[in-house]
Amino acid sequence: MLRSATFRFAALVFLLQLVSAAALIVTIGIAVRRQLQVDAQRTVAVLRDDLRASYAAGGSAGVRREVALRTGRMVTPGTVLLLVDRDGARVGGNLDAWPPSVVRDGHATEVTLYRTGLNTAEPMHVEAVRLPGGERLLVGTIVAGELRAMRMLEQVSGVALPLALIFAALAAWIAARTIVARLEEPLAALNAVAAGDLAARVPADGSRDALATLGVAINGALERVETLMGELRMATDGLAHDLKSPLTRMRVVLERASDQVRDPAAAESLDRALSEADRLFALVQTALSITRAEAGIGREHFTTVDLATELESIAEMYAPLAEDQYRSLSVAAHARCVVPVHRELLAQALGNLIDNSLKYGAGPITLGLLANDAAVALTVADRGAGIPEARHDDALRRFGRLDEARQGGGAGLGLSLAAAVARLHDGTLMLGDAAPGLAVTITLPRE
Amino acid sequence: MANKVLLIEDDDATADFVARGLTEEGFVVDRAANGRDGLFHATDGSYDCIVLDRMLPGIDGMGVLAAVRAAGIETPVIVLSALGAADDRIHGLTHGADDYLTKPFAFVELLARIRLLMRRGGAAKAVETVLRCGDLEMDLLARRTKRAGRAIDLQPREFRLLEFMLRHVDQVVTRTMLLEGVWDYHFDPGTNVIDVHLSRLRKKVDEGFDRPLLHTVRGAGYRLGLDP
Repeated sequence: MLRSATFRFAALVFLLQLVSAAALIVTIGIAVRRQLQVDAQRTVAVLRDDLRASYAAGGSAGVRREVALRTGRMVTPGTVLLLVDRDGARVGGNLDAWPPSVVRDGHATEVTLYRTGLNTAEPMHVEAVRLPGGERLLVGTIVAGELRAMRMLEQVSGVALPLALIFAALAAWIAARTIVARLEEPLAALNAVAAGDLAARVPADGSRDALATLGVAINGALERVETLMGELRMATDGLAHDLKSPLTRMRVVLERASDQVRDPAAAESLDRALSEADRLFALVQTALSITRAEAGIGREHFTTVDLATELESIAEMYAPLAEDQYRSLSVAAHARCVVPVHRELLAQALGNLIDNSLKYGAGPITLGLLANDAAVALTVADRGAGIPEARHDDALRRFGRLDEARQGGGAGLGLSLAAAVARLHDGTLMLGDAAPGLAVTITLPRE
Repeated sequence: MANKVLLIEDDDATADFVARGLTEEGFVVDRAANGRDGLFHATDGSYDCIVLDRMLPGIDGMGVLAAVRAAGIETPVIVLSALGAADDRIHGLTHGADDYLTKPFAFVELLARIRLLMRRGGAAKAVETVLRCGDLEMDLLARRTKRAGRAIDLQPREFRLLEFMLRHVDQVVTRTMLLEGVWDYHFDPGTNVIDVHLSRLRKKVDEGFDRPLLHTVRGAGYRLGLDP
């Protein structure tokens, strides 16, 4: 699943959504913090300027009174004040002693201290001021508000982050679904063409995005395939016509002559010529069938049949021929197996395989049918000499004959036709060793 | 009155041969060399059978067939075609043709099929339950066959084969017609598959009787009948 591009894309969307939510929260946190700091500094500055003004107006005593007033009556709740004399002794304010960490004057620092009478340390923003008389004044403000704000932000994050998680997952799912949905039409078109509907196209959706461009490109390719198939069909049809018309005339002439001659020798020659003409015709017909099957022509004529019944019917047809050779022909199919096939061509292919075995094989012939959810395997096996593996390619070649001296019978197209029919069904034909004997297996995938 | 056949075929040699052969067999044959003339004659409607080439100059065979059927003419049509693929055959038969014969064909094959179509086109027979030929009798309901009162034991396929022959008594039935009618296949099964089946059937039907019923017609096929 990790290798699936759709999954990785969805995961990326998910992560980016989360990161953006987190970034938003962090940014807000920083902004709030900065704003609160600025507020504290401003408060401290105002306080400091007020106290300086008191000093200027009332001297040391004025400041002391002001400090006492501001800390005593709690004019502003967060105020921190400490006044020490020239020797550093505490004069007034709400801190017990000068914090050792605050050394430099005129410089703001953050410290955490206990205010007089309180038993919790509080973070505060303080600034030291040296007064003209030598006293030092510590002016500050509690930054509890900042803490509260940060805590609130944490709470908000606690709600917002799970929400973000859900929305991120939703966004990822929708994104993945959108892509898959947009790919459905091109996929459907390609599958339809593969299944034989050459006119299938990807519908235009009006957009100009990458997927629409892909659709246009696919349509272009399919257009070309259809044109080529049409040309091929025309070429084979034309060839069929060009060859068959003279063959028809030839047959006509031979047939008439055969009716007219009275000389038995001549009649026999004419009959032989007629049967050769028929064989030539069958050859042309088979060669054309192979070409058409290889080109995938005929997929539109698939019908659903039970292969077990079909095998029985074919076996029944050829059984007398086998019996005449004192050989048996039996079907080993254990279950019904209903699949869409080109019944005519498949029967012809199996017939050819049986015919081959009758001509070149020996021993009992078995028609086997094995099926699982993924594929169907049809096997024609005998107990003859078989074909050595090194010669399998020769056997499958069109017009290929293993025994050049063997006369009569087929023209070496039987196996080629069976292989072409297998490919018409997106399947394969394999030659195997039945130990001893030849096992020809046609494997057809199920959808 | 002689049966009238319309032959629409552009290839002169084939047309001559077919026309002469049919005339010798007692048919009255009209000829058309292209689709337009053929259609003109066909719409006359007085023919018992139309033999139509699929590839014609002008309107092609399937076009003529469509026009004829569109005009409401039910004359049986045999399509002759150099396109022999099973798919073309299916296409032809689903588009109004009554039969489809691939070139090159034997004349006897065409003749047998024309006769078959004419008979089929004639009086619609009542549903038969017993078929007979001489002393041979087939009960379709009980699925029993007897000859001269003696039961003949037939395999299911032999039964269908004999049934097909009995339904076409005194007619020439070709190997292709048997393959189509009994096995529902249209390809050439090679070797002599049909002949072997027929010779087995003949053993069961004719052996031990003076008068053979199942005859081989040289160069054509088979015929079931009393006359030799």
